[in-house]
Amino acid sequence: MRSIKDAFAKGKAFIPFITCGDPDLESTKKLVKSMVENGADLIELGIPFSDPTAEGPVIMEADLRALQGGCTTEQVFQMTKELRQEVDVPFVYMTYANVVFSYGSRKFMEKAKEAGVSGLILPDVPYEEREEFLQDCRDFGIALISMVAPTSEDRIAKIAKDAEGFLYIVSSLGVTGERKEITTDLSSLLKMVKSHTDIPCAVGFGISTKEQAKEVAQYADGVIVGSAIMKKIHENPGKEEAVLGEYVASMKSVL
Amino acid sequence: MVVKYCGITKEEEIQYLQKLPIDYVGFVFYKKSKRFVDKEQARRLREKLNPSIPAVGVFVEEEIPKILELLQEGIIQGVQLHGEEEESYVLTLKEKMKQLRGDSFLWQAFILKEEKDIERANASPVDLILLDGGKGEGKEAEAGLLQKIHRPYILAGGLSPENVVEKIKAFSPYGLDVSSGIEEQGEDGVRKSPEKMESFIRLVKERSSMAENIGRFGIHGGQYIPETLMQAIEELDKAYTEAKADPAFQKELSRYLNDYAGRPSRLYYAEKMTKDLGGAKIYLKREDLNHTGAHKINNVLGQALLAKRMGKTRLIAETGAGQHGVATATAAALFGMECVVFMGQEDIERQALNVYKMRLLGAEVVSVKTGTATLKDAVSEAMREWTKRISDTHYCLGSVMGPHPFPTMVRDFQAVISKEIREEILEKEGKLPAAVLACVGGGSNAIGTFYHFIPDEGVELIGCEAAGRGVDTEETAATIAVGKLGIFHGMKSYFCQDEFGQIAPVYSISAGLDYPGIGPEHAALHDSGRAKYVPVTDLEAVEAFEYLSKMEGIIPAIESAHAISYGMKVAKEKSKEESIVICISGRGDKDCVSVARFRGEDLVE
Repeated sequence: MRSIKDAFAKGKAFIPFITCGDPDLESTKKLVKSMVENGADLIELGIPFSDPTAEGPVIMEADLRALQGGCTTEQVFQMTKELRQEVDVPFVYMTYANVVFSYGSRKFMEKAKEAGVSGLILPDVPYEEREEFLQDCRDFGIALISMVAPTSEDRIAKIAKDAEGFLYIVSSLGVTGERKEITTDLSSLLKMVKSHTDIPCAVGFGISTKEQAKEVAQYADGVIVGSAIMKKIHENPGKEEAVLGEYVASMKSVL
Repeated sequence: MVVKYCGITKEEEIQYLQKLPIDYVGFVFYKKSKRFVDKEQARRLREKLNPSIPAVGVFVEEEIPKILELLQEGIIQGVQLHGEEEESYVLTLKEKMKQLRGDSFLWQAFILKEEKDIERANASPVDLILLDGGKGEGKEAEAGLLQKIHRPYILAGGLSPENVVEKIKAFSPYGLDVSSGIEEQGEDGVRKSPEKMESFIRLVKERSSMAENIGRFGIHGGQYIPETLMQAIEELDKAYTEAKADPAFQKELSRYLNDYAGRPSRLYYAEKMTKDLGGAKIYLKREDLNHTGAHKINNVLGQALLAKRMGKTRLIAETGAGQHGVATATAAALFGMECVVFMGQEDIERQALNVYKMRLLGAEVVSVKTGTATLKDAVSEAMREWTKRISDTHYCLGSVMGPHPFPTMVRDFQAVISKEIREEILEKEGKLPAAVLACVGGGSNAIGTFYHFIPDEGVELIGCEAAGRGVDTEETAATIAVGKLGIFHGMKSYFCQDEFGQIAPVYSISAGLDYPGIGPEHAALHDSGRAKYVPVTDLEAVEAFEYLSKMEGIIPAIESAHAISYGMKVAKEKSKEESIVICISGRGDKDCVSVARFRGEDLVE
């Protein structure tokens, strides 16, 4: 199994996000494999949450479909474990504080480790609240991945200094979802972050096209794509594997 | 933390301060003091003072018989010495005091200037010591010396509303003694300032009700929000802390609350209802008489003024029943701000009148169709909108929930409710009520109704949750009854959720209580047992809605009807000598259609 660091070792990393269980967990497994075969360097596995306040409509709806389909945290652990046998790129879970908290933070980390997961992203846990989960993460070798936003400004230094795994740089204001253009001055933002840390920086939120990925990769170590992927899955029933594989390959090709 | 207001000389000062949760009052019997009072003056002051507040006599080199005389006649209940007395004098006085009155107490004040002062203070045989920096000159004791004191003490000298929070944080004293810091220059010399007396005690009580972490109430609260919003939240926290301490801001807010919103709201004695139920006297706090018809305006005026002060030009808000949306749209119209209100599609259908009002007031109403299409989804959507547009936008959250500073800030703005109730009931009944009740969704009118009674342990605090079709069904919103600890919408608190932490779809006939969580301060009050939370069903609320309409000619909001329903039970259990207060958080016009439908009648206008 490769580490998070390995994912960034050979050039710019392509990091797809996928909501587990939409449309079902068997599909998730197949889709992850297809993305890895087509060049994905690290996979963000989303554990669905009923009220994902940092998500735009595409991922929010994917979460709700997954939950309506009966997907539970327990099943996601099981699926991850099975998937781990077949692919060796690093996995990180992306979910919300209450999913981890209600499962029991320690038990959650133990299960995550068992399933071969390397990191955890909790968009509703900012720097000030990470103590809630940090010790449990460390005890099981799970990197608690921090986020930096265009509004972080003088918060960047402390966030970057204590960062683990990689830093998730939020490309622009607002929630997840495709944007026509990204107006944030990513060059200065990344320069600022990198002056405080050597940890890899991946940019996400709003990226869907090759052009955007190429632009972002000039400054970042990796590119994260979520909503565009969930949209492709939802809009191509029956042929999602092929469509997604092709998409990931084309995105990876410009990095 | 106990608080003593010292150097009281005037009857007006007594009248004002006893409305506040002060623990002790000090009379200075030292002739050279500016605040000297003689025996007869002290007697008159004592007679005006609420018997539950002990008076402390402050003495310098006084003969023991004279002190005992004051104690014997009930003019003072405790004695404070200045610290330079011989040990034999202190021991003799102590013994004679205890013989005379077993419940009397002896304090000694020390001026901390050097190491030997510390030893003397640590060794003093009195009940409690006070530590000062000078002889009542308003000087602060030195921090380095204070830290060497090994017993509980009252911090004195140089305290004021401006520095008290900082001092509490630095020293965590057992109590505080203040005199010059709450004074102002009057026409005939210095006098205690009502504003300063009030702001001092408010700051102290807030600070001591808070856990060590800012923004935490016990284990609850916090700031669980996306990084994108952290800067805005920090900015808001800073701006609010500054505004809170700024008399000009408080004055402007008071002016709007009084002249525009119609405060103070009345405390009405519901005589007919009292007779009908045959128990405790029932008082209704008429928040329904405020402009826009609910308590929501108290908070909104505060936040809108704050937003203006911060240079924001746009307000966004969530709303359930529409009352907070209407209040926000109103404030936006008043202050010339742009306004967008997020409202669940389900609620838009239940509360058509309020939707019309918001649009009439110039607000845009955005229908939220995600999830259960109710209040919880409206909050999520407003949060999402805020992450999209921060620089010109303030999120005017309507309840005591969400990330810090919202639970504290909204509580502060709503605390005017209990501040008024406390004054009004003391005026009408001469004593505190046996219980105060309010309905709880997020809990803003409830915390407003409870807040100033939290230190009064004899007053029961009862929050009434919406049980919907019953707490044994899935169709309920009674968070304390069926929820468990979680993290959602920026806070740690109790939430209705499934075994994997998915937030449960909740239900109540009342759109304003239809929320799966409860504010963190309520969660902490529940944990400590200081307040109790009870479920009230749709049917019980509807019956109370009808009862109050027929009995008193007051149509309450269906939310408030939950509190009335349980209040009726409480009143019956209490004696006629006692009183209870129920907060009527809003008026019920908006609910007539849904209550009629509940009774099988379709209203068409």
